[in-house]
Amino acid sequence: MEVSPRASGARTMSTNHLGVGAALLSLILTSTCCSCLETSRNGSPPNIVIMLMDDMGWGDLGVFGQPAKETPNLDRMAAEGMLFPNFYAANPLCSPSRAALLTGRLPVRNGFYTTNAHARNAYTPQEIVGGISQDEILLPEMLRKVGYVSKIVGKWHLGHRSQYLPLEHGFDEWFGSPNCHFGPYNDSDRPNIPVYKDSQMVGRYYEEFEINVKTGESNLTQIYLEESLLFLRAHAKAQQPFFLYWAVDATHAPVYASKSFLGRSQRGRYGDAVMELDHSVGVILDELRTLGLAEDTLVFFTSDNGAALVSAPTQGGSNGPFLCGKETTFEGGMREPAIAWWPGRIPAGTVSQQLGNIMDLFTTSLALAGLPVPEDRIIDGLDLSPVLLNSSLIDRPIFYYRGNELMAVRLGLYKAHYWTWSNSWEEFHKGVNFCPGEEVDGVTTHDQKEHTMQPLIFHLGRDPGEKFPISVLSEEYRTALQNISPVVERHKKNLVVAVPQLNMCDLAVMNWTPAGCEKLGKCLKGPKSQPWKCDWPH
Amino acid sequence: MSFSVLSLLLLNAMCKLGSALTPPSFVILLADDLGFGDLQSYGHPVTSETPALERLANGGLRFTDFYSSSPVCSPSRAALLTGRYQTRSGVYPGVFYPGSRGGLPLNETTIAEVLKPLGYATAIVGKWHLGVGPNRMYLPIQQGFDHYVGVPYSHDQGPCSNLTCFPPDIKCFGTCDTGMVTVPLMNDDAIERQPVSFPDLEKTYGDFAAEFISTCAGRNRPFFLYYASHHTHYPQYAGKDATGQSRRGPFGDALVEFDGTVGNIIRALKDGGIHKNTFVFFTSDNGPSLMRMSRGGNAGLLKCGKGTTYEGGVRVPAIAYWPGRIKPGVTHKMASTLDILPTITSLAGAKLPRVHLDGFDMSNILFRHGPSKRKAMFYYPMDPSEEIGLFAVRLGKYKAHYYTCGSILSDTTPDQDCHSTSSLKQHDPPLLFDLEADPSENYNLAMSEDPEYKAVLHKIQKESPLHHSERLPSMCFSAVGPFSPCFSSGSATLV
Repeated sequence: MEVSPRASGARTMSTNHLGVGAALLSLILTSTCCSCLETSRNGSPPNIVIMLMDDMGWGDLGVFGQPAKETPNLDRMAAEGMLFPNFYAANPLCSPSRAALLTGRLPVRNGFYTTNAHARNAYTPQEIVGGISQDEILLPEMLRKVGYVSKIVGKWHLGHRSQYLPLEHGFDEWFGSPNCHFGPYNDSDRPNIPVYKDSQMVGRYYEEFEINVKTGESNLTQIYLEESLLFLRAHAKAQQPFFLYWAVDATHAPVYASKSFLGRSQRGRYGDAVMELDHSVGVILDELRTLGLAEDTLVFFTSDNGAALVSAPTQGGSNGPFLCGKETTFEGGMREPAIAWWPGRIPAGTVSQQLGNIMDLFTTSLALAGLPVPEDRIIDGLDLSPVLLNSSLIDRPIFYYRGNELMAVRLGLYKAHYWTWSNSWEEFHKGVNFCPGEEVDGVTTHDQKEHTMQPLIFHLGRDPGEKFPISVLSEEYRTALQNISPVVERHKKNLVVAVPQLNMCDLAVMNWTPAGCEKLGKCLKGPKSQPWKCDWPH
Repeated sequence: MSFSVLSLLLLNAMCKLGSALTPPSFVILLADDLGFGDLQSYGHPVTSETPALERLANGGLRFTDFYSSSPVCSPSRAALLTGRYQTRSGVYPGVFYPGSRGGLPLNETTIAEVLKPLGYATAIVGKWHLGVGPNRMYLPIQQGFDHYVGVPYSHDQGPCSNLTCFPPDIKCFGTCDTGMVTVPLMNDDAIERQPVSFPDLEKTYGDFAAEFISTCAGRNRPFFLYYASHHTHYPQYAGKDATGQSRRGPFGDALVEFDGTVGNIIRALKDGGIHKNTFVFFTSDNGPSLMRMSRGGNAGLLKCGKGTTYEGGVRVPAIAYWPGRIKPGVTHKMASTLDILPTITSLAGAKLPRVHLDGFDMSNILFRHGPSKRKAMFYYPMDPSEEIGLFAVRLGKYKAHYYTCGSILSDTTPDQDCHSTSSLKQHDPPLLFDLEADPSENYNLAMSEDPEYKAVLHKIQKESPLHHSERLPSMCFSAVGPFSPCFSSGSATLV
């Protein structure tokens, strides 16, 4: 059992002909051979860099057909690495998707959901009481066991109260903020969001860290880039492997870019933000090369959920040919751009048809670090290292959750919708539209519509835009359903849901007195505690 | 000057210049109803079995803002071959039918006719769709092509419900056009077989194209090959090598087969040692036929498809490929099928036809990544009329719609504007879109109070009326005449 295909150290080039059998075999070998380190340099495991965009859509990259000319660096990254056209977020909204990335588990398992109402998206605004549970094991906590040093740069979004912050959950360093950069607030009804360096606040958005919502100017992306470069340089010469989680948020409304990028793109402010992020990706990859780390570092680029079409065109991106966007369980809500880059190890210029999920980054990172996955719980993430290194393909389903409901399941090229909902009539009449220009009758419904007895099934090969449900009378429908039903049954049978963390809100828990506020004289007085059940309209 | 002296001089000149200066050859690869979003390089999430087209995209210059002149076949093809809007040649409204009296007027100058005086060998393989006419007077061999192998119009313009589209015996989907003769395969102006055998058709085309290239290469003769594929137009078909190869179903299989022929053509150029002296241009005749649902194509992020003057109807994929001459990359410069004739003319050192041309030489974009000479694109509907000619204008990044009309060809999309039920509508003030910020044409700027938009509209309105000077009477009326090509005898047998 000591020899796995990967441990042999052979540089296997792209072999698209590897059968599923071989892929499964290599998967079995890998998982039963946990002690084999993915050795690449002096016997130490590779560095891991996860670049997570915020609300960036599948269709925002040149390599995915975007006609605006904003992403030369990402397009080059794809040409030097592996592109994933079938990569998914774990949820159509930021907090749950991010919690899933770091735990390798669906939000219903790790607690990042709500039961206040059926099938509602919940996240962590600053009045949220909950956060990531102490019982969850996060990726940096695992990596620490084998000597990794971990840094998060940017948005955390797994709870802003002190017990939920990154350094309490395995990260060694942090520069960024716990919530979205909404604002500005007046600091009396509502505090501005703090920016942290490690476990101490160093200022607040719209105060020390300026975002001009009128012009869209902010140099935050530049700060996040600098913080990342400092971290890379500091650990370049050390023997210690590192994990950098670069969670930048310039493409989330209010969209921002620094002065030198404002007005440069043809798409307006959103495109400017994309250009600056793309530029930063290029700088980071160049820095890895300069530091001689490129061949010892897996870099994975993706986004937390689909483009926020509700903010388009100036503050939202593109989901290409896919239906609807953020907040929905149609493809536009959860299909993400994804690129893996590891020169010398991942074959350049390849496109993998593997169905991937953001949760796989957890499991894959552990495998590359030579760590076993936690065995006391169900992990939804898949080890993609055979895909990355041997171009294998592994059969697996994708589960589309909205809050506490399993809305849809993809198996192979078939996707079955058990529930459909874009948003409520009430919200829709207010002008909130998650599917602008794309009202598909009976599909983008404004009532929560149940199809569990007879799910809507689409063939995503012939119909990636989910516009033509397969006739329920057809043989194809019956066969597809026969294949999907047992997968759903098994999933539901084994599902142990967690205590929902996103049910309660309280103005008293907002960022009035973040750690370190005394030193800066930035502590604020909040109201008395008056918790209520949060209202999640979507 | 006597003939022998002239040829001596020529020979002398050729020896001095050396064979490196043999004029370049030209290959146009034209897909049928292939949408802006149908290729992997244009962001189709499923298409992945098209290595030849991906090699073109990776090794050539890919256009993001390339337009056909019309949202339907015949007019678009007329404009491609003549460098003139279809309103000038009379190839409107709609398309030619097997029995149509008209065709592309013989006094129009095609690319083949531009190149012939320079000694080019010329051939077209595949779909002509510029008329058959009385005594087959409008066929390609009357328009400058030495050879023709193909179906002279759309391969759905004849009954197909009894025909096999995929081996071993998968019948064509639907009925195609009934009440006319079955579609013939022509060789020059003779009918080779009728009806065509769809599973064998592409092999016939590929073999012919490869043979033509290798013969020309062997004789060191420059050539022009126009491969006007039927793929991926309805009804989709393919031979045994492509059948079942795609994850996109019949549409994908047709695309795979098209890709295979593209690959064979590029290989033939390499085998002939002339790939570095051949300009290859790939594009599509119009947007996807969305009424075919998952058997139609994909317009990507563009609005609507075939039959409409929204972007999805006319913005098409396009790749210029010339190893060693054209630097690989992506260009966002505006260009059009109208620009192909002037570009080829300039590259060959030929003479431009002495008529009003609507195209511009693309050399500056192709070889220097420089600005486009094209500043505007005019959008004509499938049925331009005397009263309403122009539907929309793109000037720089702005597009103004004066009229919009849905089309049955774009039915079934979730966007009501695309449907045939969205009848002709005049817009005053015109709808205005910023195609760079909003390629999907979702957000009308004309409602905005911003004075900039008023200025833009004014500028566009100033440009537009200039474009109405010349118009030939329609050649596309008389839809069903007695001129259908028929295998058996001179008189048409209507099935």
